[in-house]
Amino acid sequence: MEFMRQGRHMITVQQLTKRFGAQTAVDALSFEVPAGQIVGFLGPNGAGKSTTLKMLTGMLEPSAGTATVCGFDLRRDILEVKRHVGFVPESGAVFESLTGLEYLEMVAALYALPEEAARARIRQFIAFFDLSFETLTDKLLGAYSKGMRRKVVITAALLHNPPVVFFDEPLDGLDANAAVGFKALIQTLAQEGKTIVYSSHILDVVERVCDRVIIIDKGRMLVDGAPEKLVAEHNSGTLERLFTELTGGTELERRAQDFARTFRS
Amino acid sequence: MNPAASPPPTTAAAPPGRVLRRLFLTLFLRGRSARGLQKEGAPKSVGQKLALTLVFYALFGLFALGFRHQPVLALSVYLHLMTFLFLGMFVAASAGEVLFNKEEGDILLHRPVTPRALLWAKIGVLVQVSLWLAGAFNLGGLWAGIGASDGGWWFPVAHAISTTLEALFCTGCVVLVYQLCLRWFGRERLDGLMTTAQVIVTVAVVAGSQLLSQVMTGQLGEVLKLSAHSWWIGLLPPAWFAGFDDAFAGSGTGSSWLLASLALVATAAVLWLAFGKLARNYATGLQTLSEALPARPRPAGRRWVDVLVKAPPLRWWLRDPVARAAFLLSVAYLVRDRDVKLRVYPGVAPMLVFPVMFLVMSRTGGHGSASSFQVAVASAYLGLIPLLGLNLLQYSQQWQAADLFRSAPIPGPAPLCHGARRAVLCVLTLPMLVLYGLLAWVLTNDRSQLVLVLPGIISLPVYAMIPSLGGRAVPLSMPTEEAKSAKRGLTMVGVLFIAMVLSGLASWAWAGGWFWWFIAAETVLVAAAYVALHVALATARWAPME
Repeated sequence: MEFMRQGRHMITVQQLTKRFGAQTAVDALSFEVPAGQIVGFLGPNGAGKSTTLKMLTGMLEPSAGTATVCGFDLRRDILEVKRHVGFVPESGAVFESLTGLEYLEMVAALYALPEEAARARIRQFIAFFDLSFETLTDKLLGAYSKGMRRKVVITAALLHNPPVVFFDEPLDGLDANAAVGFKALIQTLAQEGKTIVYSSHILDVVERVCDRVIIIDKGRMLVDGAPEKLVAEHNSGTLERLFTELTGGTELERRAQDFARTFRS
Repeated sequence: MNPAASPPPTTAAAPPGRVLRRLFLTLFLRGRSARGLQKEGAPKSVGQKLALTLVFYALFGLFALGFRHQPVLALSVYLHLMTFLFLGMFVAASAGEVLFNKEEGDILLHRPVTPRALLWAKIGVLVQVSLWLAGAFNLGGLWAGIGASDGGWWFPVAHAISTTLEALFCTGCVVLVYQLCLRWFGRERLDGLMTTAQVIVTVAVVAGSQLLSQVMTGQLGEVLKLSAHSWWIGLLPPAWFAGFDDAFAGSGTGSSWLLASLALVATAAVLWLAFGKLARNYATGLQTLSEALPARPRPAGRRWVDVLVKAPPLRWWLRDPVARAAFLLSVAYLVRDRDVKLRVYPGVAPMLVFPVMFLVMSRTGGHGSASSFQVAVASAYLGLIPLLGLNLLQYSQQWQAADLFRSAPIPGPAPLCHGARRAVLCVLTLPMLVLYGLLAWVLTNDRSQLVLVLPGIISLPVYAMIPSLGGRAVPLSMPTEEAKSAKRGLTMVGVLFIAMVLSGLASWAWAGGWFWWFIAAETVLVAAAYVALHVALATARWAPME
């Protein structure tokens, strides 16, 4: 892709803000992500992670600020943005009355993928995720296990081979083997030049997989940098410790210890 | 001793049965699919909602006052028949979700409660709500019974008992059917079977209540020719309970006592089978419900809908891949999804029942302009089928999955609306039009009048576009809790008014001998309106999510 070859940033976010009435969910967020980077996007519940991802995928309109994805402006070229991104939402919602194959074919049609090409891609993902084609064609998604459903959602996000992929809690429901396979997959995708934004609460996975970490709280950016560098700078030892220190988790730990003590007394 | 190691004290806790009943009643009243809704989208007051429902039932029950001078048997047959229909519809629609909830096994089966306690608590809630509804509906009937020709002050007591028995019987029957289906057909076919059964029962109840009210109001002026001595009356379960009223507070004939005995025996047998004998399988049923199923071997060949969309004329009509995807999605939900089917089919059923009633009226109501107007009005209702169908198809329990449409590179909701509209026209409207055509052919005296249906059919494409205006008819994109919208009712009333005016004009043109000129003018106007609506829809953009 021309844009990637020019070495420009795949995602550029400047003063991005989202307000819901009087409440500010995302407050003047700014960062840039080059091609081939895996960025861990972290924050406690309600920090504004999902809202940011929804804005960057064109699902929510920003209240202020600008953002470009693959050089396309989020406000002016929203269709081009959508064409170039894949998104695994946290909810993992699917149309449960469709079979897995019907769902994926529908997604392929939304991205105008030719039928044969879509089928070929679906088969590749089926093989990768160890899904059976019979299950995909015969069972409705409502009867799938959570892990299988998640695999279908991930497949749906990658089916059109987007250069930028946003994952919101992608490992939720995946078994250990599938999770290991998935982590290897996103690292390979990044090596091939795809840009990945990875939002999760499983911090050790983020620490191992991501080249860079952005931690936000109450819609504002707290830190941005390579995990090892951030941990060293803050003298935290681990990313988890750094996260709890920055987002008030230390106080929660103390309260948990106090609470546990009440059982003993 | 470490207190954390010992079980928590139990003296102050409520008995598990009561806790479970309170839990299921709360879940039932609030709805289980409210998750994901924004707080302000949730029902403001459950009590208010319930009170409104009960008031509606009580008002509807006032029709029974029309029977106040009739014999107790006639009044009771009416009351029990309507109660049976309402309760049947209510229990059939609720039982699946209440009795066999898929996620419930994970939540409750590892708790210290027995499956029997679970079943009893759920049945308790179903019976409790059934009794509230039945009580509200029968309130007017109680007064009517006191004034009945052979009634008296004992009627309210007898009727309260027989209504309670009927509620138990209804609930027991539905539970029994569920248990038997689970036992005989397994979980895999249970959902499909029960959904079909629920849809049939609900459509029958909706259609039946429309027709029954016509029959009943048509006969109010004279004493109904009902007798407890007729052999066939023993075949109707509502008549058994009416016999109970008649035996204790009416004529008290031997036949009434026989019917009353049937009511008692049938209720006892159903309760014993449903709650006693088959309750042992309940835990197994709940467990198998949440188990993953092995894939069934797929029969050779493609699905019928795949074949249809790949062959002309649908191939041409659905050449836009996004519209085709929305078409397939909509058809899948209209054919498979219990929640959508239970909303759409009973919702559109009256649109077929009313035209048929008008046809029957035109057959019995004489000839000339009155008769031709009735035929024309019948077609006005047919025009509402796609409008109503599309409106109802917007709602789904999996509405969050429709976020996919917003993240896909589609400039606006237009192709999705087109796909859904074409699905509703093909799967819902066309079969109903064919059925109506057949019925009209059989029921109409003067078949030359059937051309009066044309104005309604010509305007169908425009009616079908109306729900899509502003890109609102994106299939399955709204939470089911928002399905009860007063605005939607207003649109319906507006369109029905236009359709009625059109019918009046058509029948006037028919009488005046310039019908075909009218058709030509209507065709031109409809074509212009269709193009205008199409253009307006093409420019529609996504509504903000927040």
